[in-house]
Amino acid sequence: MGSRVALAWALAVAFLAAPPLVAQRGRGQAPAVSPRAAAPVDLTGYWVSVVTEDWRWRMVTPAKGDYDSVPLNAAARRAADAWDPKQDEAAGEACRSYGAPAIMRVPGRIHITWDNDTTLHIDTEAGTQTRVLRFGPSPSAAPAGQGQAGEPTWQGQSVAQWELGGRGGGMFGMAQAKPSGALKVVTTRLRPGYLRKNGVPYSANAMLTEYFNALPPEENGDTWLVVTTVVSDPQFLNGRFITSSHFKKLPDGNAWHPTPCRSS
Amino acid sequence: MDRLRLGALAALAAALTMPLLAQQPPARDASAPQAPSASLVEYNDEVARTRTAGVDFTGEWAPRFHEDEPERVPGPELGDYLGIPINDAARMRATTWEASIQTLPEWQCRPHSADYIWRGPSPLRIWKEVDPVSRQVTAWHAEWLRSVDRQIYMDGRPHPSPNAPHTWAGFSTGKWDGDVLTIKTTHLKEGYVRRNGLPRSDRATLTEHWMLRGDILTSATIITDPVYLTEPFIRTTDYELDLHQWVPPYPCQVVEEVDRPAGRVPHSLPDTNSAVADFAHRCGIPVEATRGGAETMYPDFRLKLGDITSKCIAAQR
Repeated sequence: MGSRVALAWALAVAFLAAPPLVAQRGRGQAPAVSPRAAAPVDLTGYWVSVVTEDWRWRMVTPAKGDYDSVPLNAAARRAADAWDPKQDEAAGEACRSYGAPAIMRVPGRIHITWDNDTTLHIDTEAGTQTRVLRFGPSPSAAPAGQGQAGEPTWQGQSVAQWELGGRGGGMFGMAQAKPSGALKVVTTRLRPGYLRKNGVPYSANAMLTEYFNALPPEENGDTWLVVTTVVSDPQFLNGRFITSSHFKKLPDGNAWHPTPCRSS
Repeated sequence: MDRLRLGALAALAAALTMPLLAQQPPARDASAPQAPSASLVEYNDEVARTRTAGVDFTGEWAPRFHEDEPERVPGPELGDYLGIPINDAARMRATTWEASIQTLPEWQCRPHSADYIWRGPSPLRIWKEVDPVSRQVTAWHAEWLRSVDRQIYMDGRPHPSPNAPHTWAGFSTGKWDGDVLTIKTTHLKEGYVRRNGLPRSDRATLTEHWMLRGDILTSATIITDPVYLTEPFIRTTDYELDLHQWVPPYPCQVVEEVDRPAGRVPHSLPDTNSAVADFAHRCGIPVEATRGGAETMYPDFRLKLGDITSKCIAAQR
């Protein structure tokens, strides 16, 4: 009787141990892969923004007080109503509307390159800005100045990570789908600036979350990059400010023509 | 003795389980095409699992009007064609449009077409149709407040003959590009790319890319129209997941809104509607720019515009 019980226990233990063994097959200790090598999509190259949305706020300088579509609170509206581009220019703040939360909406070409295996650069024609996207652990959502070093800048500190899709799951272990996904970038440590050229403000407490999506080529050969941008700012916004901007891939940088910041 | 017996039993159990491990099927290339099984008897579970791709868009999605709010909610102004790659035919036709055409009985309950509805002021519901045997998603459904139930077939069926009926939703098929759902739509009834008379022909085709990032759904819509556009027209629109939302019914009822002679269709004759320039004058934007065209959607057009500060403030309309 005792041996039967022991046999039952042994079999139960063996079968319980089997699924983890199956699940681990082929995994082993994979060598570390750099973010550049692990990139599920290729974002590099020259891209031009195609302005089919928000034209009157992007292609010309909007009128003071024209802050439609942005979920501003009363303090932000007061700040926007006090916008003075000449004063910004005189104070050396002409780049206020070229900061990271706004720059992808500013019409122009962008150039995306790998600086090294863990760092992407985005150079912009408009305002001659450079964004530095470093792969690493996500920053906490702590307010600016807590646990982070360095002075706030127009482009802030950006931490990048690949959002990989199709990993599956479940008790039977869904099969691994083809790698896919987007680049997620979280930016903090921002110098206060404008969401729009006419002084619609964001504060130093703003946090920017972006998703860079490279779309499959279209039948006519066009390739599009879509950047979904989410700005959170407890000081000036009543809720998240969500926009998406689209860029068409260019064959080369022949038309590249950087221009300086302008306050109006 | 007990230890010896237990050890022997464990060895026996391990020996019994090893063949099970050895029987695990070899890994397959997930991207390799697999023929679906014809019956439950032939059903290959591994095929089903490796074909699973993409993400689940099911849910209630709330539109966010953080782009183009004046155009999308109250509605665009007459003569505002900024940033749209229209040709002369579209421009001419748009200038004959009068807003009161919306009061015609034939227009009152007209739903927005599949291409425009993303920009309309409507909540969105997406759900999936699942084959009960294979458990594969065979179709997605998308429905807005003022739209028809739109089906996007995922079962690989072909598009119908060009002579098949054209509808508000058109005929849509989808496929996964990684975790992006790419949708091709044909057989659209004639519609509009903006609610101020800018037309879209029934020869137009629509490509969409749906992307789910966090709790945000971004849809890129690309319209190709050989009749009215000189280049593909792209827009990207964002929705937020809102589990408290409910798409209400839209029991549209036709009523007599305007007392007008039978058969009268509100319109202007070409080149006679001077009001189409009002928007340009009010906003301080050159009339030539407001007439649109592909050139106006590229950044270099700003060089032609020069330094302009708009005079438009939506709240003052």
